[in-house]
Amino acid sequence: MVRGFGWAAAFPDEVWEHVFSFLAADADRNAVALVCRAWHRIERRSRRRVFVGNCYAVAPAAAVRRFPEVRAAAIKGKPHFADFNLVPTDWGGGAEAWVEAMAEGWPHLEELRLKRMVVSDDCLELIARSFKNFGVLSLVSCDGFSTAGLAAFAANCRNLRELDLHENEVEDNCLNWISHFPDSFTSLVSLNIACLEGDVNTSVLECLISRCPNLRTLRLNHAMPLEKLVSLLQRAPQLVDLGTSKFSADHHPELFFKLESTFAGFKHLKSLSGIWEAGPAYLPAIYSVCESLTSLNLCYATIQSPELLKLVSRCKNLQRLWVMDLIEDNGLIAVAASCKLLQELRVFPSDPYGVAPPISLTEHGLVAISAGCLMLHSVLYFCRQMTNAALLTIANNRPNLTCFRLCIIEPHTPDYISQEPLDAGFSAIVESCKDLRRLSLSGLLTDRVFKSIGASANRLEMLSVAFAGDSDAGLHYILSGCKNLRKLEIRDCPFGDKALLDNASKLETMRSLWMSSCSVTLGACRQLALKMPRLNVEVIDERRGRPLESWPDDFPVEKLYIYRTVAGPRSDTPPCVWTV
Amino acid sequence: MELELGLALPGSDRTPELGVHGEKRASLCRKRGVDEMLAKATLPLFIQKDNDEDGDDDSRQSKHLQELNFSGSRVLVGWPPVKMWRRKSDDCGRRRANCVKVNMEGVAIGRKVDLCLHDSYQALFLTLGQMFPKKQHDGEESDAAYYKVTYEDEDGDWMLVGDVPWELSVLKHQHKKAK
Repeated sequence: MVRGFGWAAAFPDEVWEHVFSFLAADADRNAVALVCRAWHRIERRSRRRVFVGNCYAVAPAAAVRRFPEVRAAAIKGKPHFADFNLVPTDWGGGAEAWVEAMAEGWPHLEELRLKRMVVSDDCLELIARSFKNFGVLSLVSCDGFSTAGLAAFAANCRNLRELDLHENEVEDNCLNWISHFPDSFTSLVSLNIACLEGDVNTSVLECLISRCPNLRTLRLNHAMPLEKLVSLLQRAPQLVDLGTSKFSADHHPELFFKLESTFAGFKHLKSLSGIWEAGPAYLPAIYSVCESLTSLNLCYATIQSPELLKLVSRCKNLQRLWVMDLIEDNGLIAVAASCKLLQELRVFPSDPYGVAPPISLTEHGLVAISAGCLMLHSVLYFCRQMTNAALLTIANNRPNLTCFRLCIIEPHTPDYISQEPLDAGFSAIVESCKDLRRLSLSGLLTDRVFKSIGASANRLEMLSVAFAGDSDAGLHYILSGCKNLRKLEIRDCPFGDKALLDNASKLETMRSLWMSSCSVTLGACRQLALKMPRLNVEVIDERRGRPLESWPDDFPVEKLYIYRTVAGPRSDTPPCVWTV
Repeated sequence: MELELGLALPGSDRTPELGVHGEKRASLCRKRGVDEMLAKATLPLFIQKDNDEDGDDDSRQSKHLQELNFSGSRVLVGWPPVKMWRRKSDDCGRRRANCVKVNMEGVAIGRKVDLCLHDSYQALFLTLGQMFPKKQHDGEESDAAYYKVTYEDEDGDWMLVGDVPWELSVLKHQHKKAK
């Protein structure tokens, strides 16, 4: 039926809906919705996927009302620094409000992805009971639930395809929760239980796997012994994505042979992870699948460099590699020579709090990778030393970097050869890599690097800063530049009031700003909150003294979280959080 | 500038370095030997002040909740930025134990307790009960009621263990005394 006047009425609504269905990106759909009332109406009724980057940016009921036909929702809660213990555990991010609103307004919801939220067992049960066609549940870095909640979820989900539990804190109080999947349940395509601590009943799991012929992804937890793993895997040769359990046992040639032939049976395996505690004895069992792997996650495998080298050099088609710094420089040099299709590299510290690093992983490894892997665009690298020259080389080699996160473990570490700050190096990165979307800084840095970032990092969306800068000018450069900045997180920098207040309106163009252990005073927060009614300015102070109202303006703010919102101040702040 | 004195075994490296702004940064202690039990912690005799009352920006040090693990190195909260979850599952002897030294009144030798191995105050009290000699009494089993366990918080005050939720306290506790 044709409604309204003007050109939008040239076609019926269904035609526009069909046209809009080709717009995947939220930004595009948002743009479409602003064109005219008709398009706004048509778009909102036809939007099927919603992404809420900050669960407090909009009231759940409002989101559900605006987009009544949503089938897939993704919601994020706590700020990123919650991963590193900087956010109080009771800060917020509870999922109930959202799940209740969705249960009311989106009965046809099929997919729900929650990240850094507090999800209760009741929530899990509510999800299972409220959505008849529910197919995908993904919980990443969440907490608040237990295996009893998972049992209730399993019992009530008839058409579940995906259960993805990634790095959650799950209380283990129900031993056999997997047995709660009904016998008639055969639709499972993807199961990731890697983060569960407790034992999982192998025979129950075997039964489940045997009756789910479409299973493509299986990521087990650490607990299962190797012999049981082998018999389990023999029932799922069709797997595309495998996360093993513990990969060590007393050496039995029989077991090794079985493991080796099981892996040889995987004709479609593309992604491999887990491999906890791998010893050199059993690692060679994997060799047969190396050639076909595109993704390899060894960041829990404390394998030493020689074995790592042998393994990784066989993986000629690798696109993603996550590994411990035990790989060392010569391991990375081998990767650079063998893995020409590598796009993403993450190197984690095996001993982050260690004192005398016995690991020979330096800037040379990363430089080699940047030279040898032409498709490399995403880097996360923990190391203990760096030079401006190395960063310059990396910048020149890889102008196609989109994500560059460097963590030099000791704060304030200068260029170890010249003793200069690393300003020149990071400046080269932002000037050369025009598509850089995410950047994490470390090492000794002055205000100069922020000047470069503000001026050159036009596509930058997320910036993480720690122990850097000399003065407010640093923060001012970022906030007055970086046109596309969405998330800024800062800790232990001498940034204060002036930069914040001078750039108040910038904050409404961003999703959020986190500042901890900086030089912001309560007075500035008060002024900011007054000036910008559509920002929530949250002051976090865990010492639990007198209430916020009684503190003077010059009171130093320990932790500050500012985010834009159309929902006003939230009603669930714990005692340590004040919305100014 | 704050002065920091430490107690350590003779021969352990303790060379304070000067940071760029002149603030003293104690370098990390080198672990001597594999046996963690022999390595002694260095304890600051002067606890650093949080707020410089004279507003001296040059010597302003970031406020950190400071923990001392048993090898004596000072650890910042949330640094390096490695996910909690990774740390938890990172065993194989490389796990960083969150050790706390416990002294009992009247007992010369202190014991160390790994807070990471406990998930609640009850579990901790049970372990303490097993570690320290009991006085003569009627075979009462409730250790929690029997001992008074206190800890020193960042302000230097002795607080009764059990006020703060377990997860928060694991980060904050430096030193415990059992009476």
